[in-house]
This record gives sequence, C-alpha cells and structure tokens, in this order.
Amino acid sequence: MRIRRRYLFYLLAILSSIALSTSATFDSIISANYIKEPWVFCLSFFVLGLIFTILALLFLSLPYKDKKIGSFLDPSFGGIRMIRKEELKYHLIAGLGNAGTTIGYYFIVSRLVEPSIILSFSQLVILYLLLVEAVAENNAPTFAEVQSAMVVTFGAILGSLSLSGNVDLNALLIVLLVINPTWVMFSIGQRKLKILRINGKANDSLNIRLWNLIFTTIFVFIAILFVDKNFVSMSLWAIKNSFEFLLIGVISTFFSVVLFIRAMGIGKASVTQAIRASSVFISIPFFYIAGKFFPITIPTDPLLIILKIIALILVMIGVISFALTEVKAYIFINIKPCYSIAKLSEEILDINGITAVDITAGSYDIIAKVRTRTLGKGYERIVRALENIRGIENFKWQSILKEWEEI
Amino acid sequence: MIKAYILITTYVGNLKAVLEEMRKLKDIESIAVVAGDYDIIIKAKVKTLEELMELTDKIHEIKGVKRTNTQVIEKEMEVET
Repeated sequence: MRIRRRYLFYLLAILSSIALSTSATFDSIISANYIKEPWVFCLSFFVLGLIFTILALLFLSLPYKDKKIGSFLDPSFGGIRMIRKEELKYHLIAGLGNAGTTIGYYFIVSRLVEPSIILSFSQLVILYLLLVEAVAENNAPTFAEVQSAMVVTFGAILGSLSLSGNVDLNALLIVLLVINPTWVMFSIGQRKLKILRINGKANDSLNIRLWNLIFTTIFVFIAILFVDKNFVSMSLWAIKNSFEFLLIGVISTFFSVVLFIRAMGIGKASVTQAIRASSVFISIPFFYIAGKFFPITIPTDPLLIILKIIALILVMIGVISFALTEVKAYIFINIKPCYSIAKLSEEILDINGITAVDITAGSYDIIAKVRTRTLGKGYERIVRALENIRGIENFKWQSILKEWEEI
Repeated sequence: MIKAYILITTYVGNLKAVLEEMRKLKDIESIAVVAGDYDIIIKAKVKTLEELMELTDKIHEIKGVKRTNTQVIEKEMEVET
C-alpha cells in the first residue's frame, strides 16, 4: 500500500490512542470493582502482559505467504528473537523508565484518594520530550513546534482535570521529578531502539515491546518486593479471579504500545506523545459506555464538560499545526574530482535535518533527503552547512510539495 | 535488489494526469511532486536492471511525460540517531 508517510504517522499515533483509551477504561473497571490494591493490580497486569506478549509473538512469528503474520502489524518484523548486544543499553534505559513511571504512578494512587488533578500534570511530558530532543538530538525546536506543543500540553492538562480531588505538593513533585522524567527515558529509549538497524534492517516494534516488558517486569517485581512481599501471591490470585478483564486491558495495551513505537520510528517522540495525548478525549465515550455496565466514575458536571470541550479544541489545533509545519526536500549534489564521494556522503549525513543520503550513478553523485520544520531552518542548518563542505561542486534544492511512500 | 531515482519532467498542464498514472505503477517505493528542475521524483525498487528498464519504459509511455533521468543508487545511508 502506498500512502503519505505523514498520514501513516498520524494513523499509527491515533490508533495507539484508541487502544490506550480501551486499556484505560478497563483499568478503571478493574481498579474500581475487582483489584482494589494498586500494587497488586500493577504486578498482575505486568505478569499477564508478559505471558500474553510471548504467546502473541510466537503466533505472529508463524509464516504466511512468505512473510510472518506479525509483518501486518509491523513490516519490519521477522519473528521473535533474542535481544542484541547493541540494543541492551536502550532496553535498560526504556525498562528503567517504564518501571519508574509505573512505580511513581502506583505510589501516588495508593496514597491519594483522588489523584486525577495531580496526574493531569503528567501531560507536561510533551514539553520534557521537546527539551530532551533539543539537547540530546541537537534538534532545537522551532517556534511553531514550541507553540503547538504548549497548546497540546495545556489542552491535555485541562482535559484530564477533575473538579474533585486535592493538590498534594509531594505527589506533584513525584509527577514532575519521577513520572515525567522516567517516561522521557521510556520514550527516548524505545525511539532509539526503533530507529536502530539490526543486521542492516529496520528494528521491529514487536520485539522491542517484548524485551521492554521483560526488563520492566523485572524492575517492577523487585520494587514490589520492597513494598510488600505478600503482593506477589496476591497478584497471582488477582490474575486468576479477574482474568478476562485483565486480558482485555493487556491486549489493548500491547497494541497501543506497538503502534506507539512504530509511530516513534517515523516522527519525533514529542510529536507522537502530543498526538497520543488525544486519548484523554478518545477515552470519554469508552468511559460512558463502560459506565452503563459497571460502577465507575464518569464526569457529569456541566462546567467539567465545557472545560473538556475547550481542551479538545486546543489539542486538535495543536496536533493539526504540528502536522502542517514540516518541509521535505531532495538535494542533488555533485562532487569535485579528486574527493572521495563515500567520505563526503558521511559528512553530509551528519548535517542536522538530512535524514538519508544515497550515492548514485548518473548526472548527480549524491541525492540527499531533507526533513525540517521550516524553510528558514533548512537554509540555516543545511544550505549553510553544505556550502562549508570542501569538495562539493554544486547542489540543487528540490522542495517536495507532496509525497506518497510505500508502507 | 536495485534501487534508483527516476527524475521526471512533464509537459505543462499534465502533472496531475501523469501523477495518477504513476501511482498505478508497481516497484515504486515513493513518489514525490517537487518544485525545481524536475516535476516528479520516483524512488524505484526492482530486482534486475532489466526490470528497471521496463519500469522507465512504462513511464515513458505515459502521456504528458517530457523527459526522464535515471540515477541508479550505489549506496544508501540513513540517519541512526
């Protein structure tokens, strides 16, 4: 199928939000009706999640028409496999990040009766990611990116607020200093893994999810042993007693994370996270449907509904403005005689904003692909950098007006 | 596997029709409408040079195509950050 890459990215991120909303709905049903102890819920969810993921990947590794079944979920999937040496450090970062976020979250919910006001500040993670990308990837955000990210973040905070609950300073500090930074570790680690090439091929989101879950479960298990050892046996009972609901939550989380990882392989982590924040609103109809069958808390206050509508508009505007601010181009480059094309191509690939470089035979020596937020940034970062490379005879910039890519 | 860029120039007023025909072709990784010396840039992925010749031949047959320039890719590199 050939579609525009941008559409694929948004499709994956939005599908991930829908799966996340399903998962959040079942989380509420389980925690309100079946597993009251947050730590028991946490461990049972991870243990069942790990068992399901292993079985799912074994099934997805079965061949179908010269491919693996899992290639329908991620075309890079070539079957379940062991972790590679080059992946280990990113899996440790992502696993610690995921475990940190989980432990921080359950610490708050096990100590606060109504933590929704505090937890809405976890949406600030979009801005954390923007900041980290600016530093770690030397990819300073444009004004348009900062503006869009702020609009989405504050929209998401507004959308996830509740009129009840209390503001606890310690809990707020846990969100700002533990949950958000560890979620950044989790996102960046997974993005790094997704764009890592294994044996010259793109890494797949299914194996990334499996190994992240293995590491996270180990870290969470160790942490729960420190909280209360009895929670381990209680978790196993909880799996037995609430198996169906836990399983639905686990399946929807699996799809949500796999699609999230795939999306992060295409776009920046901050933008993917911003789109995923739409789950705050997507989950509303899910909660209303679930509320017909199970006793869970559903917002009915008119003021809260107005706030959520305003927040929804803000998030939509933010996401759309993210989508509209991207410039892509090809640059055709000729190299002077007596210079190594191979060496210069590596130098060109190092320029920030250049995403791919192809050495070609024909009228041009190199064709480079550019992805940047604005034309101005394209000039400042790329054109100026190319002009400073000795050995380039001339280059032509061809702005892409519209593009379709094979997926 | 052989990959190549096919840089296409069209006659004025034919871009939309040419593009619609291009999107029906197989063995194509991406199609981009561009502003500059060319009008359309195609990235093709074929098994043999003969298949590449067949593809460029099909492109030549599309009404509205003025000229093509094929650049065979010798090495591909992507950003790993």
